[in-house]
Amino acid sequence: MKKNNDINGDLPFLSDWISDKITDGQLKDLVNEEDFLAYKQLKVAINSMEIAPPNMEVNFESIQNKIKSKQLAKPTKVLSLYRNIAIAAMLLMFFGVYQLFMFSNEFQTDYGKTASILLQDNSQVTLNSNSKITYPNFFKFHRNIQLNGEAYFEVAKGKPFTVVTSQGEVRVLGTKFNIISSSNFFEIQCFEGKVQVCTTTSKDIITKGMAIRFYDNKEEHWKFQEEQKPHWIIGESNYRQLPFKFVMEQLQQQYNIEIQYPETIAQTKMTGSFTHSDLDVAMQSICIPLHLHYEKTASKKIVIFE
Amino acid sequence: MNQKSNSNLCSDVVFKTIFESHFKGLRNFLIYKYKDIERAEDNAQNAFVILWENCSILKPEQAKSFLFTTAIRLSLNAIKHDKVVSNFELKSKTNGMHQESPEFLLLEAELKLQLEKAINDLPEKQRTVFLMNRMENQTYSEIAGLLDLSVKAVEKRMHLALLSLRKVIQNV
Repeated sequence: MKKNNDINGDLPFLSDWISDKITDGQLKDLVNEEDFLAYKQLKVAINSMEIAPPNMEVNFESIQNKIKSKQLAKPTKVLSLYRNIAIAAMLLMFFGVYQLFMFSNEFQTDYGKTASILLQDNSQVTLNSNSKITYPNFFKFHRNIQLNGEAYFEVAKGKPFTVVTSQGEVRVLGTKFNIISSSNFFEIQCFEGKVQVCTTTSKDIITKGMAIRFYDNKEEHWKFQEEQKPHWIIGESNYRQLPFKFVMEQLQQQYNIEIQYPETIAQTKMTGSFTHSDLDVAMQSICIPLHLHYEKTASKKIVIFE
Repeated sequence: MNQKSNSNLCSDVVFKTIFESHFKGLRNFLIYKYKDIERAEDNAQNAFVILWENCSILKPEQAKSFLFTTAIRLSLNAIKHDKVVSNFELKSKTNGMHQESPEFLLLEAELKLQLEKAINDLPEKQRTVFLMNRMENQTYSEIAGLLDLSVKAVEKRMHLALLSLRKVIQNV
């Protein structure tokens, strides 16, 4: 009777009434007679109606079918995964083949040791102290060998034979030669046949009895007496007109020691040899000609002074 | 909701139980919200499929809210593509033993049509709340929980829905 359809009314009394929180009598106080009857009719009407329920079995079956068809669709995904695996496997295989054909054999000598290796093509490599070679498995077909250190090669005739070092390449057909290779020194002596020496800056061909040496951006050529093999193979390093610092380098390579010497004599060239069997004898054979003295300061340390 | 809270959702039995207890409510909810029975059933089914796919990471007591959230998301995706054709329908309860006069039945049939139309025309939020309460007998706080609303908001929507529907009666 009091308030007509007061939409702006702040109390949602209709929701209270329809859920039986307030009684019909209370609603009657809030709306007019006509509205009250209409709401009552509305409540009866709406409560007498329902929504058609779902067919539970059909729906459950549909869900099962959808799950199944989704699971069936999955194998394509699995296949694509297999494809990735296949690609990975192929790459791995290529890598493996590459490894097989390329450098996969490694041989390294210890300080003061030498080793002789007969390669598949009957070429022979003799490694000096603390040197390393790497060569491919199928060496016969691809005569390519990596060298770090000093080695003497007796190459059997056949396909081109290449020695790769950090300083340059040496290419031959069939010959005997010696290579010394370190980070800043590169020396080739040819004992038989013909050798092609390629560095980044030069390309030289040397023949029997000739030698070539690269260091400190210098290139030196010389001839040596005909010999059968380099001396180090019989336990002695010999050198000719070699700067003192490289003699020391070779000595350190051989004996695994640390040598200190005055900077003033580093470039002094010397000719001679030292033995591999006795450090004292070796030191004397180096120091006496140059009027130098040496002293062992520790087990692996030697100081040279003038 | 579900008494076997420690059981695994991936078991067929538990899944079936969840289906039995929630499918109808979910499907009806979607009808109230989007007024399309076919799409409601389809999306309710899809929500259960997704529930099954995620059964290993969900607990049974999470199932209900997961189903509702998923179904709403699915419905919204579908609605984006094409406007919903409303085919919302009510029917009289068959078990009500009405021994009324033919005139009353005729009146009731007409009233039903008018009501259907009016409910169809209600704003979505009011219609959902109204029908969830009237058809599913859910309390305002239950509805508020499911729709992530305050109880006050639910009551307000209910009130507004009744105000709108009252106009139908006037015309009868």
